[in-house]
Amino acid sequence: MAEVLITVRLPAPATLEAAMRRLGLTEDEVDTAYGLVPVDPDRNLYVLRVTEDAGRRVGGQGTGGADSGRADGGPYSDPPIEPYGPPR
Amino acid sequence: MRVLIQLRPSPDLVAAVADRSVPSTASDVADGLPGVVLDQSYAPVAVPRPMPASPGGDPLSLNQPLIFSMAPQDASVVVRGEIADDEVTSRIALLPATRRDVVAVYADPAIETTLTCAGDPAVGDWHDVERLLRVPDLTSEGLDGSGVPLAVIDTGINAAYVKAARGHDVTVDHERSWNPASVSGTPGDFPVDHGTMCAFDALIAAPKASLVDVPVLLSRRQGGSTLDGLLSDAIAAYAHLREILDAQPAESRALVVTNSWGSFSPRWDFPPGHPGNYSDNPAHPFNLIVGSLAEAGADILFAAGNCGTQCRDSRCAFPDRPIVGANSHPRALSIGGIDTAGARVGYSSQGPGRLTARKPDVCAYTHFAGSGALGDGEPDSGTSAACPVAAGLVAAVRSRWPATVLPPAQLRTLLRRTADDRSAVGYDHDYGYGVVDAAGIIAALRRRAAKAA
Repeated sequence: MAEVLITVRLPAPATLEAAMRRLGLTEDEVDTAYGLVPVDPDRNLYVLRVTEDAGRRVGGQGTGGADSGRADGGPYSDPPIEPYGPPR
Repeated sequence: MRVLIQLRPSPDLVAAVADRSVPSTASDVADGLPGVVLDQSYAPVAVPRPMPASPGGDPLSLNQPLIFSMAPQDASVVVRGEIADDEVTSRIALLPATRRDVVAVYADPAIETTLTCAGDPAVGDWHDVERLLRVPDLTSEGLDGSGVPLAVIDTGINAAYVKAARGHDVTVDHERSWNPASVSGTPGDFPVDHGTMCAFDALIAAPKASLVDVPVLLSRRQGGSTLDGLLSDAIAAYAHLREILDAQPAESRALVVTNSWGSFSPRWDFPPGHPGNYSDNPAHPFNLIVGSLAEAGADILFAAGNCGTQCRDSRCAFPDRPIVGANSHPRALSIGGIDTAGARVGYSSQGPGRLTARKPDVCAYTHFAGSGALGDGEPDSGTSAACPVAAGLVAAVRSRWPATVLPPAQLRTLLRRTADDRSAVGYDHDYGYGVVDAAGIIAALRRRAAKAA
């Protein structure tokens, strides 16, 4: 599994740069093309796609705080998805 | 236990049973069989006696040339009945001793039609689906998908192909369509494939819906095939859909999302119980975004999958409970497959689901001659076809019932409550609540409108 997902809470307007700064992530560790994707705007929750090592380092379920340097959740799996037809 | 009892009554009685013009009843033949509740609705049937074709043949062997005699002195009669489960062994042993005319007692197991499987020819065509979905009735109610964005999260749509196959114009919403970062291409102009089939099938019930083309399954990744994507791309797609929804005026808010894909194998996922797992974990970011999009007003439908026990897809690698992740999400409708003859297709995944036990929710039609997008003569198949068929029905409803008036949770309940119940009474894990029933939906909406007036 080359890359994993982590979640982070950031006040709006959130940016990828702010998320990377908060979590101490470098550009090599983050899929910057994927960016910072809002999962639940009502709860200021975002997701990033990062390397497995970075995910392990900053991830941690429910430990993310405003200045903790930790993700809100993750690392989460990013499995492949396939069409459900035609059956083989 | 249901049983068949073979008797050899008097030749006169056998002759009467064999004469179909003479009505005879189970009581005429077998009244008073101890411990057997006779099924009076089942008329006795005369069965011939196999006899050796040549003199000197073994009268007990079926492995020789035989003649079958219906002569009254040779033939026997079969009746149907029931024996209490806790008495089966003793009754079966005692019956021939109690009554000299009892020849044998046989099991009467339930039998089923052979279910449609991969490789089987189409069962009906898309006009049958139109008829079963009562599209003319939907149209006369103004439920044709007009103005409703219908997002097809798949391999991209070829609108020209869909238009030619349907013989009608097709609307692709270029402005609201979206590509993952690794996908280039124009909405509505992707190669003909799985997504084109889904678009065609969604338009059966909602011919005037606006297709939002989201080719997530075309995203490229190292080691991936040409028709798969990553769940993270689906997260990004859903974030885009949230923007679409939030930009709509509340009084006309509507967005239907059809997803004919999923995960076949736990191999690429973290193990169940791991906090980062997708298949079993409602806290995974994709499951969170599905919940938040539905809460914001979207109707989200997922195919239940093609891992039904009768003829599962060879890629299915979940040993049990194959409706995983968002395909079993509580705020999404999980769609199983039924053919146009009314039977569940053998590959349609059975519940319980992993995030929610009561999955699939309902069944919709599949395995019919439709778009032809999968190849000449190939049916539109898989729960991949059933899901957009149901999504089209939802989009048809949305053309007059926006999410602010009929919230997605209420619409899901409406579909479940009006479904045509099949198999066991009430919910079951083969058919869910039953088969989508447009007539029931129309009637329920009329009642709702009358109450609101």
